[in-house]
Amino acid sequence: MTQQTVTAQVTPHMDVSWRARLRRFTTPAFFTGPAFVLVFLFFFLPVILTILISLTDMSVATISDIKFVGLKNYIRIWRSRTTWKILRNTFIYVGFTLTFFNVGLALVLALITTHIPDRWGTAFRTFWLLPRITPSVIYAIMWTWFTADAPYGIVNQFLQIFGVEPRNWMSAQPWLVVIAANGFVGASFGMIIFTSAIRSIPVDFLRAALVDGASTWQRIRYVILPMIRWPILFVVSYQTLSLLASFEYILLLTDGGPGFYTTEVWSLHAYHRALSNYFGNVQFGYGAALAAILVVIGVIASVIYLRVFRFNEMVAEPKIEVI
Amino acid sequence: MEVRLVHLSKYFGEVRAVNDLNLEIKSGEFVALLGPSGCGKTTTLLMIAGIYIPTEGEIWFGDRIVNDLLPKDRNIGMVFQSYALYPHMTVFENISFPLKLKKVPMAERRKRAQRVADMMQIGHLMDRKPAQLSGGQQQRVALARALVKEPDILLFDEPLSNLDAKLRLTMRGELKRLQKDLGITSIYVTHDQVEAMTMADRVAVLRDGRLQTFSTPDDLYNRPQTLFVAGFIGSPPMNFIDATLVQENGKVVVKAEGMRIELPDELGKRALARAKSDRVVYGIRPEHVHLDPEGDIEAEIYVVEPLGREDLLDCRLLGGSVMGVLAPAGQPVGPGDKVRLRFEAEHSQLFDPETEHTLLW
Amino acid sequence: MTEHAGSRWIQVFLIILVALLCVPLVVMYIWLLEAAFAKQTYGIVPSGFTLSNWRFLWEGFKNMPSIWRITFNTLVFAAIVTVAEVFFASLTGYALSRMKFPGRRIFLSFTLVLHAFPAVTLLIAIFYVLLVMGLYDTLLGVILVKAALELPLGVWIMKGFFDGISWDMEMSALVDGCSRFRAWWEVLIPNIRPGIAALSIFSFLSGWSEFLLPYIFTSSFENFTLSVMLRRLIGDFRFVDYGLLTAAGLYYMLPVLIFFIFTQEYLLNIYAGGTKGTQI
Repeated sequence: MTQQTVTAQVTPHMDVSWRARLRRFTTPAFFTGPAFVLVFLFFFLPVILTILISLTDMSVATISDIKFVGLKNYIRIWRSRTTWKILRNTFIYVGFTLTFFNVGLALVLALITTHIPDRWGTAFRTFWLLPRITPSVIYAIMWTWFTADAPYGIVNQFLQIFGVEPRNWMSAQPWLVVIAANGFVGASFGMIIFTSAIRSIPVDFLRAALVDGASTWQRIRYVILPMIRWPILFVVSYQTLSLLASFEYILLLTDGGPGFYTTEVWSLHAYHRALSNYFGNVQFGYGAALAAILVVIGVIASVIYLRVFRFNEMVAEPKIEVI
Repeated sequence: MEVRLVHLSKYFGEVRAVNDLNLEIKSGEFVALLGPSGCGKTTTLLMIAGIYIPTEGEIWFGDRIVNDLLPKDRNIGMVFQSYALYPHMTVFENISFPLKLKKVPMAERRKRAQRVADMMQIGHLMDRKPAQLSGGQQQRVALARALVKEPDILLFDEPLSNLDAKLRLTMRGELKRLQKDLGITSIYVTHDQVEAMTMADRVAVLRDGRLQTFSTPDDLYNRPQTLFVAGFIGSPPMNFIDATLVQENGKVVVKAEGMRIELPDELGKRALARAKSDRVVYGIRPEHVHLDPEGDIEAEIYVVEPLGREDLLDCRLLGGSVMGVLAPAGQPVGPGDKVRLRFEAEHSQLFDPETEHTLLW
Repeated sequence: MTEHAGSRWIQVFLIILVALLCVPLVVMYIWLLEAAFAKQTYGIVPSGFTLSNWRFLWEGFKNMPSIWRITFNTLVFAAIVTVAEVFFASLTGYALSRMKFPGRRIFLSFTLVLHAFPAVTLLIAIFYVLLVMGLYDTLLGVILVKAALELPLGVWIMKGFFDGISWDMEMSALVDGCSRFRAWWEVLIPNIRPGIAALSIFSFLSGWSEFLLPYIFTSSFENFTLSVMLRRLIGDFRFVDYGLLTAAGLYYMLPVLIFFIFTQEYLLNIYAGGTKGTQI
């Protein structure tokens, strides 16, 4: 009989010593501290501040005597006639850029580059990253020249061949330019995601389709597209949010013009009101209210994404417990 | 160094990976933790290493509770299944890493690393990177790294399972000899019963986080404490038959349909004294059942599986129970043949069907 | 996907098709290259070679600090942002990937939410935060903001790289005598060098190219970066010297091009890695 009877003096379960307890707090704090401070200062605090400022009449004129005005800024936004124009602009901007470029062109690029020899495919995909890493200012200069008046503009030079009357396209078709310029940058995001999604389709499915006699087009239509609908949904939602908030390229290309608010979108408007001296009196409160609406949309949308795309399930428990 | 686990438990949420484990490991002893995957053996090892924090209970090294001690302060060496060598360091850097962390001067580091490496026969590979080594060599580096700081306790987490069969056999012998030579208390996790039986002084069998038995390989094989251990240890596995325990003419007899075995007096008395009812589980190993024309149990051959040195015959008793019989290779029998079996009654095992505990030992 | 579609001709057709899609961009970049060395360009056609477009290198621009000062600013900005981001991200990425501590899940969720959250909407409030901290119109302030805004992405990417390291190796390091910090520094960091390289390249390029933050959060000449300088030039030159503008642009673009040529794989990886796990 080797049954083990434990004769050890069973002391009452020892509490974790204070040192170990302290360590469990200090070590993670050391590792996450710097990021936490930065994120707190420049994400959390600003979210709250944006909403707080939006409830005041803070502006350059009132900076020394800020008053709480409740929802007055929001009411002003609601009543302002320009709001509707800007809302319409935002829809045009987000809708068209998203449909034709960030998803449309991205899908076309992903499909083509996965259907040609890999060497070519990678080369083309890499090339499409170039606009994304090109400094926005230079990118804007290139577009300005691209669309410039005759005899300088490249578009005009090309269209001349077809007898199209030359013009400054940035002024003549500002939306076309704004959408295309943003879209050429935005397409690469979807392209990369779609490419890896297409690549991760099990080869068996594609073979099966080939065996069944599907044409390339049928294969794309009935096998590939249905299988990457989640990545497409992801790109649509993710890019909607970032387009809603982005105004850098518009600022550099048209600055909301030409003329009165022709290409002024919501986020650019918030920026103009709150941070640009263009109108003389900088209205922090009003601008913050405009931004706060985007912030709230952003917070809600990103929380929804977190749920819908089940990011949480990717979180595995660490296998080392000791700290 | 003596190691004691006292009421040790580890819960992962609702799952009790280790459940009230008590174990005393003597200084210099080689103990194997054996069990199927998910039985809690690796969790136990990682608690001893200090990687996991016990939910309840204590871990004693000698006369000290080490629950709150960091792995680095426990003076243990550990060898992993994946070897876990540092790919960015040379063999020398790998082996001397524990010494570097202990701030041992460079000259001594060199000396000690070289000594251990030579002992492991990898002294000539010091400048290589792990990726340039074979599996066996990597294993030796891992071992050298575990040994170099002269640990009080050596922990092994299935260290041989990534090696090919032949190398595994060699390393098994070497490891055992090394452990005996150095006399370092060693705890060895494995799911391979042959490894556990051949290497360890004592084997702790775990199942579902609970300790089934903790005994010498001899006891484990010949005097299993529980039905699970009896079935888990030994290949081909032990035969089990539901039977009744009765007294006939002063003899204790195990009966099942088509089977009747008179137990030796000693065993019979013990079984009778411990049995709570007449229902028992009868167990006997295949090598203790023989084909014998004189035998008193009739059976029919069902399948013949040649194992090389022996044949494993699956025989069907009249009652329908199937019985594995290990017989010398080349038996002139085939499926459907009627045979007679003789049981070595002195090698019988009896278990309580309710508690699954032995009635004999 | 290993198989390619259809016949050889379809392949050729597809290649031509995607090449056509690239034409506008190709034309623009070619123009940038040639216009910097041309007296004048008409559309894509240059006329007359000159180096005088590059005179800003020795003369500087009117009413602006010297080009070297501005370049230095930009370099400092990009470099510090890179170091800060990589350092903080590899600390936090490690903790989120490998440490069990209360709040870990929440921290991770926040990282992900912030990753999707459009930080540009916060500029107004950040402006105020900087003002209060006394960091408005300082390079340090812009650096902190830039590092903070990119941190969620960086943390997420680094976490992904840490996730890929075997647990056995870290356990081994702890048993060998490391603290968690020592294990991070001596064993894990050397094994995620590709990740560090990728994130460094990414954040350097992103810092180098940054326009909006220095444009909004600095105003003095001595804090100019190349992007702000170029923006000024566009304002001043909209009607005139495109040769000078493109030369300055090309000068600014040069490091980007060099990085782009030599580190494409890393870049492709990081853009894919930044969205890792979204391929459901």
